[in-house]
Amino acid sequence: MTAAVPAIDVRDLAKNFGHFQAVKGISFAVETGEIVGFLGPNGAGKTTTIKMITGLLKITSGTVLINGLDNRKHLALIKKKLGYMSQKFSLYPLLTALENIEFFGGISGLAPHELRSRMSLMAEKVAPAVLKQKIQDVSPGIRQKVALFVCLLPDPEIILLDEPTSGVDPEARRHFWSEIYGLKKRGKTLLVSTHNLDEAEYCDRIIIIHNGEIVACGEPEALLRQERKANIEQLFQDAIQSHGQD
Amino acid sequence: MGRIKAIIVKEFFHILRDPRSLTMVFITPLVMIFILGYSISYDLNRIDAAVIDLSQSRLSRELVKAFAANRVFVVQTRDENSPGTLSLAAAEDLLRRGKIKEFIIIPADFSRRLAAHGQSDLGIVIDGSDTNVANLVYQYNERILLEFTAAMSGVGPLLKIDTKIYFNPEVRSQFFFIPGLAAVILLMISAMLTSLSIAKERETGSIALLFISPLKSREIIVGKTIPYIIVALLDGLVILLFARFWFGIPIRGSLAVLLLFALLYIIAGLSLGILISTSAPTQRVAMLATLLSTMLPSMLLSGFIFPIDSLSPVLQAISYAIPATYFLRIIRGVILKGAELQHFLFEGGMLIVLSLVLLAAATRKFNRQRKAVQ
Repeated sequence: MTAAVPAIDVRDLAKNFGHFQAVKGISFAVETGEIVGFLGPNGAGKTTTIKMITGLLKITSGTVLINGLDNRKHLALIKKKLGYMSQKFSLYPLLTALENIEFFGGISGLAPHELRSRMSLMAEKVAPAVLKQKIQDVSPGIRQKVALFVCLLPDPEIILLDEPTSGVDPEARRHFWSEIYGLKKRGKTLLVSTHNLDEAEYCDRIIIIHNGEIVACGEPEALLRQERKANIEQLFQDAIQSHGQD
Repeated sequence: MGRIKAIIVKEFFHILRDPRSLTMVFITPLVMIFILGYSISYDLNRIDAAVIDLSQSRLSRELVKAFAANRVFVVQTRDENSPGTLSLAAAEDLLRRGKIKEFIIIPADFSRRLAAHGQSDLGIVIDGSDTNVANLVYQYNERILLEFTAAMSGVGPLLKIDTKIYFNPEVRSQFFFIPGLAAVILLMISAMLTSLSIAKERETGSIALLFISPLKSREIIVGKTIPYIIVALLDGLVILLFARFWFGIPIRGSLAVLLLFALLYIIAGLSLGILISTSAPTQRVAMLATLLSTMLPSMLLSGFIFPIDSLSPVLQAISYAIPATYFLRIIRGVILKGAELQHFLFEGGMLIVLSLVLLAAATRKFNRQRKAVQ
């Protein structure tokens, strides 16, 4: 019997920007169907790590395997499996929500009928009148919904979400996490970076990163028990303090 | 094809909905051509001159009258601050202060020597601080003095010269400069369009979504280039119409031929813009780099102001790599001379070569940059 290959397998991953070491040889794995929270303060190395996993940033050393495939050798194949939502949402502000969806659907190679049926799903979540507004004129919550929808257009198996809840209101965050659970139920694998510690409770496992190093990793409840902490915030503070603040 | 179409549609939306893009494409060129069209000129509409008439004779007055009769000369013979004939020191002071472009010294024995020997000295001092103006003043002097000499000798000119100036009979330098300006501005705007478009994607982070999509680099480049070809062609047409109806520059050749060559020229410009954008992290850097790499070489090394033959051999060699060098000849030829397609096979060929080289270099660099981050 062979062990299942992790959806994301990161081994000794490092990234240097000149003399600055942003990510310091980290290793972790995300199993298929898991929601893993990637927690850390600003500048901890979350975005850099996610960008290296997607292939957007050149790896200094180490490897990233997606379903067992090295992302430096099989990127074209891996791209078809990955969905990525960037920190800034990166939608086109002068295009309406619908036009953004049409554009990203178009460049993903979706057939027009397929795109139309997907767009009808979006119309169930957001009022059609709002979808016809320019992205620069809609609320961050709507932008987040559109960005997530765009990310899911090619129906990826593995979804990387970089700070998807930053700048959105609590109601939108709650709605967002219910969407994430829906995706998990459909067998998707999710790596979600955030600096909102209360979101850790939504995750199957959490990875806490600080100054480019992993300082804690495991199931939230197990970590709390193991470290004898009352809540994630305490766990987080103690973990980063024990590794020293820069 | 569907993927390229998606980029084309998106780019069109962005151009049409962004007031800054629209201003850059349609207003900036007209403002530039308006200002530069009036400011860059070889025409001399007024030459202020002073005459120190030490002779005070009938003949010396005739000579002063000959100068004053010319439409560009404004002649002064008296010192504004002191009575009597202008002194040498006062004339030199006027020249130094830029009040006059030249002064003429008519010697005291001017009439006597002319009567006795049929020849006299005449002193002319020209302000040489602006060589173009000095040359023009020198040419005007020669013409007036030749006519004066012929009239005084009573034999008339030996040769009755009947000169016709083709293509620009009034020798208006605007006829020379404005088609050139159109070429320079079109290259700058074309390069600016793509360089800013890609730099903007980089700044907002949306380029990451393009890179992570199944799009190939050449699809991104083709998708980004096609809408701007149409926009730049429209821009070229607006510039030509402005030149035609505002400055009265005639378009004697075929507009279709001109637009065909403009298409090749625009592709070269857009490719240059993509090439610049690969090294520009922000829109500001992209704009500066585009201005430097298009305006300077196109204005100084393409024959726009200075003839290429007068450049040093090294600069002449560089001028062959500048798209404006070829399009300038084409646009001036078609607009002013009514030249046709077959007259520009070499220039057209060179534009094709430059467009292909720039497009290949842009695609290669864009692709390498995309791979470098992966």
